Amino acid sequence: METTPETGSALSAGNGSAGRSAAVASGAGIAFATGSGGASVALNGLTRRFGTVKALDGLTMNMAPGELVALLGPSGCGKTTALRLVAGFDFPDAGSVLVNGTDISSIPAAKRDMGMVFQSYSLFPNMTALDNVGFGLRMRKTPAAERRRKSAELLDMVGLGAQAGQYPHQLSGGQQQRVALARALAIEPRVLLLDEPLSALDAKVRLQLREQIRTLQQRLGTTTLFVTHDQEEALSMADRVGVMRAGQLEQIDAPDELYARPATPFVAEFVGVMNRIPGELRDKDSVRVLDMMVPVKGSSAAISGSRVDVLVRPEGLIVDVTEHGNGIVITRTFLGSVTRLSVLLSGDVTIQVDKPSTIAAAIPPGMSVSVSLPSEPVLIAPRAA
Amino acid sequence: MAAVSGQARRRRSLPVLRRGLWRWVILILAAMYFLLPLYAAARFAGIKAYGALISQSGFTTALWLSVRLAVITTAITLALMLPTAVYVHLKLPGLRRVLESLTILPIVIPPVVLITGVLQVAPGPLKSTPYLLGLEYVVLAMPFAYRAIDAGLRALDLKTIVEASNSLGASWSRTLMQVIMPNLTTGLLAATVLTVAMVLGEYTMASLDLYTTFPVWLVTNDQSSATVTVAGSIFSLFVTWLVLLLITVVGTRRGRRTGRPVSLFTAARQDNRD
Repeated sequence: METTPETGSALSAGNGSAGRSAAVASGAGIAFATGSGGASVALNGLTRRFGTVKALDGLTMNMAPGELVALLGPSGCGKTTALRLVAGFDFPDAGSVLVNGTDISSIPAAKRDMGMVFQSYSLFPNMTALDNVGFGLRMRKTPAAERRRKSAELLDMVGLGAQAGQYPHQLSGGQQQRVALARALAIEPRVLLLDEPLSALDAKVRLQLREQIRTLQQRLGTTTLFVTHDQEEALSMADRVGVMRAGQLEQIDAPDELYARPATPFVAEFVGVMNRIPGELRDKDSVRVLDMMVPVKGSSAAISGSRVDVLVRPEGLIVDVTEHGNGIVITRTFLGSVTRLSVLLSGDVTIQVDKPSTIAAAIPPGMSVSVSLPSEPVLIAPRAA
Repeated sequence: MAAVSGQARRRRSLPVLRRGLWRWVILILAAMYFLLPLYAAARFAGIKAYGALISQSGFTTALWLSVRLAVITTAITLALMLPTAVYVHLKLPGLRRVLESLTILPIVIPPVVLITGVLQVAPGPLKSTPYLLGLEYVVLAMPFAYRAIDAGLRALDLKTIVEASNSLGASWSRTLMQVIMPNLTTGLLAATVLTVAMVLGEYTMASLDLYTTFPVWLVTNDQSSATVTVAGSIFSLFVTWLVLLLITVVGTRRGRRTGRPVSLFTAARQDNRD
């Protein structure tokens, strides 16, 4: 398992906080702006055990001011634990959380200045939308008139100005999460924490809110840590995505890098669709697959034996129609601009191949095809049982 | 065709009518069961007995003592039970069943045993005051108060709203006062009314501790003036009914505001409300 430390070079490009603040002030016509701007965040070797289970195992990562980082991973990988340690709802057994270089590991949640949007609707049922948004300001003893003005502005910003006087039970799930977002932003947090805020919403609302969160985050320049198990959400919203597994960070990179150049087989298979094609290691640098020799990406030292699987994305395969090919098309699924072909290879292996729909139209099910790989380095994994 | 559907409708409406009729019969029987003894008692007491209540020797003293005990018991019970229940819900959810079992104990332990136990451990100065009785009542009120508060807490997504409150800068005490308690009004009111009703009606402990609370006065006074005693009993029932009415009114108002159904015990789980 490989942990890729954040190098700083891949941090969000061109998101200067001064520019963002100006955009907030002028672009939206709203006087509210994040006074504190985005803060830098560093997680250093965070470890957290629950009994015998190691939920986090030396998690290390950095976030640049104004950056949106998504932590992505399967259930139980430790992403929510990491978020809770940053929020101050839980404390690490080892390691530290640094905000703008200051260790806040032992500071309670109430004094961390972090806004959080939860997975479940977390609005206070006894308060109106306006009062919910103003709650954090009330705790900071902001004068009532200013509190009301600021809360109303934030509700306008999330498109709920007309619902200011409504109670949570009178709002839809999507509206409640937007109020929760406004409430979290009202305190001008140093870091915004999002704990799967869209998972309880239906697909259409999820898409709208996803865009709204990203737009707001970019406008306000708030450093944001976003936890999700939905890769589409993570890839579409984040400046960088960290893929977690068993309490460790497998890889953290820009979404396109993560997709195109996964560092480990787990990342490769977790992000996007990935084919496993049986191959044979000939030496430590090359593998024989589909009757051709291709170079191996990275080191194969960790793999014992010569029987391996070669990991290739559906769009990374070459398919040619030929009479006596190495595969037969069994299904064809139209996905818009591309069409996905399921091809049965010898050895009872089925793979997916994406082709432009205009080309795939000429490859009906039952047709014999020749599947091959470009001569680029490929990622390999131990042969699946 | 129309005749056929009319017949079908009649066939369908017959069981509905019958069910409605049975409901009324049961309601009237239950009402008679509760109201007839009250009517008989009121009739036995007569109007004059209510006027004579105030002037009866020891009435105001006993009533005032019971009211003070009710206030003290309620305050201590809520001060103990609310943070305990919140803490157990948040930090030790595995102990909820244990606590439920513990809070039932006062119901199964005879009052005389409780009194003996409390007298053994109570500080000396307290033994000579009626407030000792208040502490004993706190133990007695535990099962009712804990259940009412527990049911209210279960209807909330407590962990999330507490964490949301903390993340917005609220301390634990402010979270308790400004977030949890306003959302727990019905549970707290239910705990209050059950505690008050228990204190106003408790006889055994007060009698064994030799304090003349309102129920003890009723029994003692019964020897000399039965009609006035009965009037006193009806008076105390009326007070309890008023408190219950108050809870329902307050609860209904809150229910309209927060969209939560309201009942005295708030027993229905609403975990999946969204």
